[in-house]
Amino acid sequence: MIKTYASRAWTFLKSFQLTIVLLALLMCLVLFCTLAQVEMGTQGAVNAYMRSFIVWNQPLLLRLPFPGGALVGLLLTLNLIAKTMDIQRTWAKAGMWLVHAGMVVLFAGEFVAGMMQVDTNLSIEVGQTVNFVQSYKQMELAIIDVTDPNWDEVYSVPDTLLSKGGAVAIPGTPITLNVKKFYANAELSNQAPGALPSLATAGVGAGVSIVERPVVSADNEMNQTSAFVEPVAGGRSYGTWLASVAIGVPQNFTHEGRTYTLAMRLHRQYLPYTFTLKQFRHDVYPGTNIPKNFSSLVQVVNPSRNESREVLIYMNQPLRYEGKTFYQASFGKNDTLSVLSVVENPGWLLPYISCVLVSLGLLVHFTIVLRRSMKRRPDQKEV
Amino acid sequence: MNFLSKYLSWAAGVLALLIALIFAMPDGKIRGFDASGFGGLPILEGGRVKPLDSVARNSLLVIHSRQGFRHEGRMVGPDEWMLDVLFRPNVADQHAIFVIDDLELLGLIGAKQTNSRNYFSFADLSSHLEEIQKQASAAQPTPPQKRTRFQNAIVNLFDRVYLYYKLRNTLQLAGSPGIGWELQSLGTPEAAHRHQDLSQLAHFRILPPNVGAGPEGWLNIGEALAFANAGSGVHPGLVPLAKLNAAYLAGDAPSFNAALAEMNSVVNTLKPGALGHALNELVFNRAQPFFVGLSIYFVAFLVLCISWIYKPEILRPTAYALLFSGAIVHTLGLAARIILMGRPPVTNLYSSAVFVGWGAVILGLIVERMYRRGFGTAVAAAAGFVSLIVAQNLGTDGDTMGMMVAVLDSNFWLATHVVTITIGYSGTFLAGAIAIAYALKKHLSAKTDPVTDKALADMAYGIICFALFFSFVGTVLGGIWADQSWGRFWGWDPKENGALLIVLWIAIILHARWAGYIGERGIMMMAIFGNVITALSWFGVNMLGVGLHSYGFMDKAFWALTGFCAIQLIFMAICYAPRRFWVSQS
Repeated sequence: MIKTYASRAWTFLKSFQLTIVLLALLMCLVLFCTLAQVEMGTQGAVNAYMRSFIVWNQPLLLRLPFPGGALVGLLLTLNLIAKTMDIQRTWAKAGMWLVHAGMVVLFAGEFVAGMMQVDTNLSIEVGQTVNFVQSYKQMELAIIDVTDPNWDEVYSVPDTLLSKGGAVAIPGTPITLNVKKFYANAELSNQAPGALPSLATAGVGAGVSIVERPVVSADNEMNQTSAFVEPVAGGRSYGTWLASVAIGVPQNFTHEGRTYTLAMRLHRQYLPYTFTLKQFRHDVYPGTNIPKNFSSLVQVVNPSRNESREVLIYMNQPLRYEGKTFYQASFGKNDTLSVLSVVENPGWLLPYISCVLVSLGLLVHFTIVLRRSMKRRPDQKEV
Repeated sequence: MNFLSKYLSWAAGVLALLIALIFAMPDGKIRGFDASGFGGLPILEGGRVKPLDSVARNSLLVIHSRQGFRHEGRMVGPDEWMLDVLFRPNVADQHAIFVIDDLELLGLIGAKQTNSRNYFSFADLSSHLEEIQKQASAAQPTPPQKRTRFQNAIVNLFDRVYLYYKLRNTLQLAGSPGIGWELQSLGTPEAAHRHQDLSQLAHFRILPPNVGAGPEGWLNIGEALAFANAGSGVHPGLVPLAKLNAAYLAGDAPSFNAALAEMNSVVNTLKPGALGHALNELVFNRAQPFFVGLSIYFVAFLVLCISWIYKPEILRPTAYALLFSGAIVHTLGLAARIILMGRPPVTNLYSSAVFVGWGAVILGLIVERMYRRGFGTAVAAAAGFVSLIVAQNLGTDGDTMGMMVAVLDSNFWLATHVVTITIGYSGTFLAGAIAIAYALKKHLSAKTDPVTDKALADMAYGIICFALFFSFVGTVLGGIWADQSWGRFWGWDPKENGALLIVLWIAIILHARWAGYIGERGIMMMAIFGNVITALSWFGVNMLGVGLHSYGFMDKAFWALTGFCAIQLIFMAICYAPRRFWVSQS
């Protein structure tokens, strides 16, 4: 009984019907994902359609459920594996075997990227030394011990934790943070006379009105994440502060001789090495504003490896270093600021392997097919 | 007979090539002036050295939508027009070359829409310049996709007027007596001011750099005059240009031609090779290989259609020979473009259309060699013709052979990813075209012919496999390029998704065939739908930004694309129509 179910499942998994239905579903998803990008931005659309198991509540689909990219991809991978194992191991099928094995690798690569890829960036001005990369969207509340003028000790609370509210103990410090209210996106304005008093009792937040806004996901928009927090240390409250991305001035309080700064900012990841921008070049074609090249000359200093060298990062020529890849992405401040985008993807090599396998497989297979049909053709001419 | 037909057909092909050659021949002198030679002078514009003729053609195309216009009962070509704009602005200002179609815009400049006159001269527009500038600068901050029809039209008109304005102030300030006078009045109080205006307005740089200087050493007239004013010597090119200017104004053709020779020798001393390069491009411009190619394809297609009802034994080889000569012209044009630009063939949407057509034609020629049934010729000629027509319409701003922005500045990736993916497009379109031929044949042909049907199905299947290989490899190479320049292999970006859709669709066709779900007609129908998918991923994604707010110029392209897709659906229906609709069954 179990055996029949198993063999039925196996027959289903390796069937052509399943392949065709899944490919058709994938086509629909790709189409929807493309159309949705107009409104949602690339990242939003990809998360909604491609990185989900069930697409749910999308206006484009009249809010009806639809299998998501992750589900289709998973089934397609199973189908592919079953198919690959089912293909006869003969020389005539060698091409097909290579193609399908290559596809398995490609899908694995996309899964790895979907699950594990981390995108950050590194902004650096000429002459500046930077030892961290920062997230594009994710926020953190940093509590920085600035007592020592030469060394900042940074403690940070990610936005996911802030959104839960309640008390957050900051490890390594005597401080506990009471998160009174969290806004994933908000708009700040100067308080009008006669308005309701702010929740904040200390810092610039006391004179600010705050209105919650819907979260934005488009690529060129940024959430003005804000929160009311009350640092408590040694049983003493230091007042309620408004920490927000929109607030640029430092907000400090002092506890037992140590001064702490509160700052809401893009999430940072500190690196065990530093980058110093020595030169940024923005070349144009003569007599035009058409950019010809962007390049950043960077000094990489890594004490743990006892390394200090210069690297030139330019278009189509990234730096791969310690599992991260640094690309020339943008620039600003009159060509004195260079922005490198940083990607960490443990599976970056998989697509390359897949590309070789599949191209080789297609070439082998179509050569075999062509030779077979060439052999057949002479007898056809007699007809 | 057989022998004769063979020679006749190849004679037709050679004749087509000869006609193509005539296009490349230099024009005669206009009123004795060597305008064509003047158009061959190298200048620096848009980041590269090109002949003045290229600037003239593209500017006229931008301003007038054509490369020539009728004035006082005579065709005026780009070089002659350019001479007038540069040296006799008061004459050029009277040419009615600005096309204005938008009714609101016509209202703004006070023209009555009753008569069909929507060509205006710069003189007509001159009293409205301030208003045009005001309206255009109000519209400019709106991103192009979100502009209304009127906003797009006004910005477009402003750009054209401004281009014209710059051109007429490039060699001399319009209304001033000319370069000779500027040289005489060096050091006078007003001069420095004029030199500054000239160097800011100049559209191109005509004076070659001194020996050894790089391309940024090219100077425009204003800069050279400013140097002379500051006592750093008179650029050797200024004197012959002043003579050209004076001779043209005086109507003195012999002195003009002599001054041109003088200017050429100055260019040759300062920048050896520049003149030769410019002349090559001049010949390319004049030959218009893609226009000639599409004309030959059209004739080939017509001849082949006639061959189905009249004298097939002569006309079919003739059509093949014509297609072959069309392909030669097309190939030469493509090769010339590659050499002139120093880039692989596909660098923008325009050149992708040229290349897709080329790929389809070459594939069609091969298929015809293999099967010899005339279908390869028909389909290749039609595909070549249509794609070159599309290219002509895409190049409304002229094929300026513009420079590649930084991220695209990689001949390796342009040559591998872009070329393979474009060959993939050629393949899907050719398969779709064969499928359409199959569908039409079923309904039009009087006898059932399973052998030909089988041959067509084999052709389509083979080409689909070919297209899968190139589309897939092209897509993955694109991913690898993206990984190299942006750090992610796949970003679900619209263009990537478009390429993926083609691959997925072909994969569906092939799996459905291998599983035996579809037969001959099923493959054909799916191949026709492949046309829709390919057209959408090729052009549709470029319109996506426009999306729901499609106004103005993309409107036309949007409707063209919709129309194309609708026609494909009709062909699919024709292909699907049951046997009782076939002529051969009644």
